[in-house]
Amino acid sequence: MMRGMIFALFCLLSLAGCAEKAADRGAAAETRTLTIYSTSDLEVFQPVIDDFRTTHPDILIEYVDLEAAELDRRFRAESAGEGSPADLLLSAAMDLQVRLVNDGFAAPHRSPNAAMVPGWARWRDEALGFTFEPVVMVFNRKAMAGRRIPMSRPELLAALREDPEFWRGRIGTYDAATSSVGYLVVSQDARQSSDFGAIAEAFRDNRVVTAGTTSEVLRRIESGELAVGYNVLGSYARAEADRSSNLELVYPSDYTLAVARTAVVPKSAPEAAAAHLFLEYLLSIRGQRILTNRSRLSAVRPEIDGPYSRLGIAEKSVGPLRPIALGPGLLVYLDAQKRQRLLDLWSGHSAR
Amino acid sequence: MTARTTSLRLRLAGTLGVVFLIGMVALYAAAMSYAKLAADKSYDRLLGGSALSIAETLSILDGKVQVDIPYSSLDMLSAAPDDRVFYRVVGPDRRTVTGYPDLPDVPQRRSVRNESDTSGQFYDARYRGEDVRFVSLAREIAQPGTTGWVYVQVGQTRRARDALTRDLVFGSLAPILLMTVVALGVVWFGVTLALRPLGRLSGELASRQPEDLDPVVTPVPAEIAPVVDSINGFMSRLHDNIDTLRSFIGDAAHQLRTPLAVIQAQAQLAEDGDPADMRGSLVAIRRNAAKLTRLVNQMLSDATVQHRSDVRVFTEFDLLATVRQSVREAVPMAEDSDVRFTSPLAQAPMVGDRVMIGEVVKNLIQNALTHGRSEHGEVSLMLVETPDGYLLSVADRGKGIRPDDREQVFERFARRNNDEPGAGLGLAIVRRAVESHRGVITLGDREGGGLLVEIALPRRARRS
Repeated sequence: MMRGMIFALFCLLSLAGCAEKAADRGAAAETRTLTIYSTSDLEVFQPVIDDFRTTHPDILIEYVDLEAAELDRRFRAESAGEGSPADLLLSAAMDLQVRLVNDGFAAPHRSPNAAMVPGWARWRDEALGFTFEPVVMVFNRKAMAGRRIPMSRPELLAALREDPEFWRGRIGTYDAATSSVGYLVVSQDARQSSDFGAIAEAFRDNRVVTAGTTSEVLRRIESGELAVGYNVLGSYARAEADRSSNLELVYPSDYTLAVARTAVVPKSAPEAAAAHLFLEYLLSIRGQRILTNRSRLSAVRPEIDGPYSRLGIAEKSVGPLRPIALGPGLLVYLDAQKRQRLLDLWSGHSAR
Repeated sequence: MTARTTSLRLRLAGTLGVVFLIGMVALYAAAMSYAKLAADKSYDRLLGGSALSIAETLSILDGKVQVDIPYSSLDMLSAAPDDRVFYRVVGPDRRTVTGYPDLPDVPQRRSVRNESDTSGQFYDARYRGEDVRFVSLAREIAQPGTTGWVYVQVGQTRRARDALTRDLVFGSLAPILLMTVVALGVVWFGVTLALRPLGRLSGELASRQPEDLDPVVTPVPAEIAPVVDSINGFMSRLHDNIDTLRSFIGDAAHQLRTPLAVIQAQAQLAEDGDPADMRGSLVAIRRNAAKLTRLVNQMLSDATVQHRSDVRVFTEFDLLATVRQSVREAVPMAEDSDVRFTSPLAQAPMVGDRVMIGEVVKNLIQNALTHGRSEHGEVSLMLVETPDGYLLSVADRGKGIRPDDREQVFERFARRNNDEPGAGLGLAIVRRAVESHRGVITLGDREGGGLLVEIALPRRARRS
């Protein structure tokens, strides 16, 4: 006990350095290793982890960066086998997270902080959204070469029809077949947009370019290879737009979807206590601030204010924000037949 | 200090509490089953609607079952916001077309299914660690190459249903619980209110003068009236007793005064008068002194019997010996009297008060000798055994007692006329002693004239 306190004091004095040292010591008796499977890049999440470690130096974090579908597949395979080492699952694929909860893999997380999460970003206290990330269109101003920038889906559709030559091969978006987040937003478009069929058709005709990750789409827009990125996660795009004056973010004025990165603590978590601590930290005001200001993922809690806050987006956005709500409805598009039908429609593989 | 039993308030509140408790348990069970039914009914509609909306998208393509799960089909189940949702579509070949392949089937015992039932079959089953409510909907497919039944199964965990059930149960039981508390409160304070007349009554009794034995007139509720009646009855008996005692003292004083006055007058006559007449006066003095002695003896005997009948110390003794001894004591050796005692018994054991029985015998003999002296002058006593005990009969050859007067002679100082000797206490004493032994005394006529007194005594006086 006494030794622990002295160590904690020492850590407070030397801050981050001490945390590193503690991490290096590895198998020290008092440390625990928290295993996080996450779809967020480590560099984005590093500030959050570092800040968490200053308050909980005894918890080492093993951060496994995975694509959402792979995260889901791996966790399920491990659970079916010897049991998963994962203590916390963080994924932007809200539908997959909902299915994990529905299949009974999740443990509830109840706390005052969790209660402050908006209702749409909570399901059964077992799936908890901790970010709020609008899905936007990103245009390269230079590549647009003075053309009017479409502010909504109908406007984009009209522009596509008007000048197909210009747009051919210059539209980029997620590959819905391989990217889970991409599929999630497409499925929500299918549900929300009356123009969905027309947009899908126009995209097919214009030979849309697909990419597996947001960063890849953004890189190709910035290089001028693409003129527009459709359904790009606003958090990444905003960071990129701040660096490059060429990029313009458009929150579609007909409606703007918003995704929440969703945390699930598995029932089988070997370090469940540490996982709940980390999740509680993520949902706390302090964690949400770090997410917003340092990781540039905007916070899900409405009371967080700042340059990248929800409020800031809402002001810019002229259209209604439609956050994707966690709930059993998300299971629908995971249905194998439904998924196949939607992918056929979106990418035009099937002539039917 | 008055002995106390459980307070009325506790009794009433306790009884009521138990009744309410039993009622609550019964109501809880009833409300529970009703609420569960109601909750199931309302959420089953949603579940059925969800299955129906899925079933409506069923189609056959290239001999395969196609289904396009509508978004609303699962989203409408978010009416139960925290419930997990499962679904499955099973083709005619019994293979899962889509959804969770391991959903539990309709329970076998309910397999008598009506295939054409459009609203589906509802059932509860355990699935993935939670209780789940399922609906199974059957649709007939009749296409070339593909015929048979397609089943759409949708399930939802019971969380919202259970919450609704709890709400309904609480909603229906809370007012009753409140009523119970109010009712118990009313009883608690109502008892005080209801007992207020009793307080007034005890106030009235407490403030009375000791000699005031008039009936209570305070108006009281009907429930308390019997108590007041009893008190009034008791007071009137007390009043009568006191009156009796007063008149007894008055009578006794009168009885004592007459012989004393005679003695005083005769003594004065002897003192002042002719010595030749002195003898007559002495005779009168002696006769009155004897009368006085007998009277005092009877009063003593009366007091003795009265005291002993109150105390009732009963022991075993031989009735035969007691009667025999009493006869010996009661018949003065000097007097030429003809008292005969006969009995076929060798001994007559009984439980009772020997002294009282002795007083009975002596008083009866005294009575017979006093009133029953006639020409033959014969007094006979007899003791025989009866199935219950003994029968002692005393017979004289006096004038007897007319049937009309027989009840009256048992009263104290109830001499039929003042000319007769005797104080009139004898039979009163006898009756008291006999009744204290639970015996029966009867007066009758002796064959050939005279009074026959029969006393039946049980062998063992039962305690009252």
